[in-house]
Amino acid sequence: MLVLFETPAGFALFKVLDEGKLSKVEGLWQEFNSAESARQIVKLKAFSKFENTSEALKAATCLLESKPSKDLRKFLRTHCDGETLAVADSKLGNAIKDKLKIECVHNNAVMELMRGVRSQLTELISGLAGQDLQPMSLGLSHSLSRYKLKFSADKVDTMIIQAIGLLDDLDKELNTYAMRVREWYGWHFPELAKIIQDNIVYAKAVKLMGNRSNAAKLDFSEILPEEVEAQLKEAAMISMGTEVSDLDLLNIKELCDQVLSLAEYRAQLYDYLKSRMNTVAPNLTALVGELVGARLIAHGGSLLNLAKQPGSTVQILGAEKALFRALKTKHATPKYGLIYHASLVGQAAPKHKGKISRSLASKTALAIRYDALGDGQDNCMGLENRAKLEARLRNLEGKELGRAAGSAKGKPKIEVYDKDRKKGPGAMITAAKTYNPAADSILGLMENAASKDDEEKPMEEVAAGQEKKEKKKKKSKKVDDERTNGSVEAENEESVKKEKKKRKKQVAEAGGENVEAGEKKKKKRKHSEVNEEESEVPSKKEKKKKKKNDD
Amino acid sequence: MRPPRGRGGGGGFRGGRGDGGGRGRGGGRGGGGGRGGGSAMRGRGGGRGGGRGGGRGRGGGGMKGGSKVVVEPHRHEGVFIAKGKEDALVTKNLVAGEAVYNEKRISVQNEDGTKVEYRIWNPFRSKLAAAVLGGVDNIWIKPGARVLYLGAASGTTVSHVSDIVGPNGVVYAVEFSHRSGRDLVNMAKKRTNVIPIIEDARHPAKYRMLVGMVDVIFSDVAQPDQARILALNASYFLKAGGHFVISIKANCIDSTVPAEAVFQSEVKKLQQDQFKPFEQVTLEPFERDHACVVGGYRMPKKQKA
Repeated sequence: MLVLFETPAGFALFKVLDEGKLSKVEGLWQEFNSAESARQIVKLKAFSKFENTSEALKAATCLLESKPSKDLRKFLRTHCDGETLAVADSKLGNAIKDKLKIECVHNNAVMELMRGVRSQLTELISGLAGQDLQPMSLGLSHSLSRYKLKFSADKVDTMIIQAIGLLDDLDKELNTYAMRVREWYGWHFPELAKIIQDNIVYAKAVKLMGNRSNAAKLDFSEILPEEVEAQLKEAAMISMGTEVSDLDLLNIKELCDQVLSLAEYRAQLYDYLKSRMNTVAPNLTALVGELVGARLIAHGGSLLNLAKQPGSTVQILGAEKALFRALKTKHATPKYGLIYHASLVGQAAPKHKGKISRSLASKTALAIRYDALGDGQDNCMGLENRAKLEARLRNLEGKELGRAAGSAKGKPKIEVYDKDRKKGPGAMITAAKTYNPAADSILGLMENAASKDDEEKPMEEVAAGQEKKEKKKKKSKKVDDERTNGSVEAENEESVKKEKKKRKKQVAEAGGENVEAGEKKKKKRKHSEVNEEESEVPSKKEKKKKKKNDD
Repeated sequence: MRPPRGRGGGGGFRGGRGDGGGRGRGGGRGGGGGRGGGSAMRGRGGGRGGGRGGGRGRGGGGMKGGSKVVVEPHRHEGVFIAKGKEDALVTKNLVAGEAVYNEKRISVQNEDGTKVEYRIWNPFRSKLAAAVLGGVDNIWIKPGARVLYLGAASGTTVSHVSDIVGPNGVVYAVEFSHRSGRDLVNMAKKRTNVIPIIEDARHPAKYRMLVGMVDVIFSDVAQPDQARILALNASYFLKAGGHFVISIKANCIDSTVPAEAVFQSEVKKLQQDQFKPFEQVTLEPFERDHACVVGGYRMPKKQKA
């Protein structure tokens, strides 16, 4: 068995003299305690030296990718036929096996052997002292590191990360500057701050106006809507601000220039970020937007790093403080981090924010992986998922709406109905349905009975011959019939008719459920009246029918 | 779950790093900025940045010129103590006249007229210095030693380790993040005993070609599986009877249990991997919930008994 050992100076092939020792992995290292015993186990068979650093670099980069370099293949072909080869990297072993048809082994014993060889390297390779090896590894490591740094994979991501960082800084800066303009110019024209809310417009107006006495002469139509302009001009006349010198105004105007140029630069930068995000991570952008997407990438370090995170992590990225506090205190962990600012989460009702942010995070994780590792360059996957999420959001909200609709007055009724439906079996529904009308009718009957009681007493009184009393009682039952009060005594049966009309009107006005009960009451009353005033019954009935039709 | 980093660890704007000279002493690493985005050598996490600045007072002011300063060797070989108005830990500068990270330097004249320059070693910025001040029995890093340094970051501590081991020793500095790797390579240009390796410490096979057998492994990777990373590297490169120094940040491994329990479980993990921990010191005044564990690897049986 041969052992392939890579050194910064070149490749070495060792012959294993005593393969039986390999079976005892635990004791193997003791054999390498001294150079003499080590020589009993392995012996240098061949050594292929790197001619220069560039050759070493080539070989080393090949090894990093677990591929045998050209020189190594040549070296192995000449020295290693018909023997098994022990290698330190199983992937490299597979590659050698494929290309050179040399049987390769990689196991614990081999690793121990490698350790041993490494510990006695200078003794085993004659003519390779430690002092020689040192500059080789130094040179190789420097050139390797430079190579790695130069061809850094996440170059484009860095641009996005820096851009979003700068964008945040600009926003902060812009805000402080704008506030400074407001504060500064406020001494001269304090009313303006109330009139113009937008910072940029404010800076533009200040820049144009200078001294507020100029306001009346100037035309602000390019930056302000008409009514605001009028307001401004009016306020400028009666402002309570102090007078400032031209030199002061000059400085304020310069600050305004700063604000405006910063704002312009910010817009430019935002466009740049947008285009970058759309090329680097189109699907992520489609799902959460440029800003949130860029922040996620910045937080993960690079798109590839982010692609290695699970959806659950993506969901709370940016809420680490809350997460660890929650974990420590065993409370509920946060529901969203950076993703909170995505439009989908923003649309959702507070109740659904957690749910939708979870779904969004999982879809986002998929989109990130697709962007980082997939071949597609379009954003259809992102758009498709976005549509799905929007449907889910609508679904969630729809459920909520259905429940909310019954919440005015008829809530209990609808809730009962929902419960029955939730319980599932159709029998329950029918049972409930058959039960409810029955209950209703009984309730109606009860009401009728009650009103009968109420009205039968007066009727008995009426029977005793006191018509007026009866009328009074009827009136007192009515809520808002005051006009008839006066005419009660004067009119007899006619007034009763009027009352009834009014009552009908009343009933027509009152909504919903009261209608039936009221009508039943009316019926009752009619019955009682029928007892007395038989002549009028048909007309009343007709009226009632009419009213019903109206309803 | 892998703890997501605080802002800055992943590649947010690194505070004050833009121009080489303009970075404050403590602030340079604020918010974990010093350790950039890689997966293995992750940021130490934000939130502690402010604390690091606390070391500002030490070694300041009175150390200038070195006229009133007496430098005495420390108990650990290669480390010195500068005794002036305040005592400070220093190492002998390998590259005289150069500061690596704007640290203060002290120049002392010997009896024979030769000048020796020392660099102040800030325990708030270096866990190894904190461990030394914490009274660790032996750091095993001494002149002539070969050291594998995992989690080298920008190379601040690495530069001091390279001072200690001197021209006859070697420091293999492994760092995964490209951002801090850049600084590391720049530092290593001036110090020929530092071999910079921009690789993931989880895959020692990738740098097996560069690294020889070492006497000591210093590991400061602040990863949940750092014990495994150490064991893997030790199995490749640490000689039998060699030593390890590992700094453990409790929060990086499990933030839900007390720090002490984390240290215990980590030590147990180490014991299963043929490590023999000798001692454990807390880095308390300098770092919160950190411990430094020192021990041996595949110690000979005789010593064990």
